[in-house]
Amino acid sequence: MKSLKTAFSKEAPAGGTREDVRELAEALSLYRSAMHHVAERRSMRPWTAGPLPRRTFRLGLLLAPALAAAIATGVLVPAYVHDEHRGKSVVGQTTPAPQQARAETRASVDDTVLMNQIDSEVSEDVPDALRPLADLTEGSTTDVSVTEKKNVTHE
Amino acid sequence: MEEIAGTELAIGKNEQAVLELADFDEVVRVYRPRILRFLTASLTDRDAAETLTQECFLKAWNARQQFRGDASLSTWLTRIAVNLLRDHLRSRSLRFWQKTRGSALDVMDISDWIPDGRGSPESIALARDRVAAVWRAVEKLSAQQRTVFVLRFVEEMELDEIASTIGMNLSTVKSHLYRALAIVRERIGGAK
Repeated sequence: MKSLKTAFSKEAPAGGTREDVRELAEALSLYRSAMHHVAERRSMRPWTAGPLPRRTFRLGLLLAPALAAAIATGVLVPAYVHDEHRGKSVVGQTTPAPQQARAETRASVDDTVLMNQIDSEVSEDVPDALRPLADLTEGSTTDVSVTEKKNVTHE
Repeated sequence: MEEIAGTELAIGKNEQAVLELADFDEVVRVYRPRILRFLTASLTDRDAAETLTQECFLKAWNARQQFRGDASLSTWLTRIAVNLLRDHLRSRSLRFWQKTRGSALDVMDISDWIPDGRGSPESIALARDRVAAVWRAVEKLSAQQRTVFVLRFVEEMELDEIASTIGMNLSTVKSHLYRALAIVRERIGGAK
């Protein structure tokens, strides 16, 4: 290490008068002395709360992904489980083929019974009051067929 | 023969530096003021300087096995501090909205400082004003200029030592120092 004035004289920008250089050297010497004073005074104090904000920030940086992962786990996993459960229930609702066939058979049987019942009710004998009309219809039909036959024979 | 003696001397120095590192409490006690001073002058932020000083010694502790004593312990610690400072300034420039610094160093920090050889209140006040002027001028320097300036005029390091510490060419160091000095000189002149 060399003295500040000697060092300064080498690095002094050109164009300065001797008085300027001396003043600048003195100012730098005072600055150096003041910085030593500030640093010494501060370094006597024990290390305490200085790094806290930075540490907190770094801790935050470290915790941020963990927090994001926790939130993602908290939101996505239940959603996934819910979806899966619903999927299972949907799958549960879709009955296997034999069961479906059986159900369809039962339905078709029921339908047959119902259709038969309806058919039997509809095809009941014509009430007595309507009987003449029924005969009339039968007769006319016969007549038509007879007429047609006659026509055919005429031809 | 001389060459062998020189090599042995270098090995002896290396071992001494490594041994010095073994007592880490002592290392902290001896070098903390220096690192804190460099970082305080470079950052003009008390809390940030203390934080980085702590980190510097923490890094040194973690990397103590890698220290071979090629450079002096002081240079090695300063190199760690310079790297931390560079990272800090880069991250601060990214946080561009953070304009104000709560713990910015100001003239009040030297209110109890009495310069050597000055007794009268007037001369003390004048000295403080001059320090404040340099302080403000240094604050306006670019990061590299400020680092070189502080290492030269506060830490009184040799130019080649500065170059090896901050990983710059000697000519680049000289160039930064010349410009820094010109700016400080101009601003001090303007402040008078």
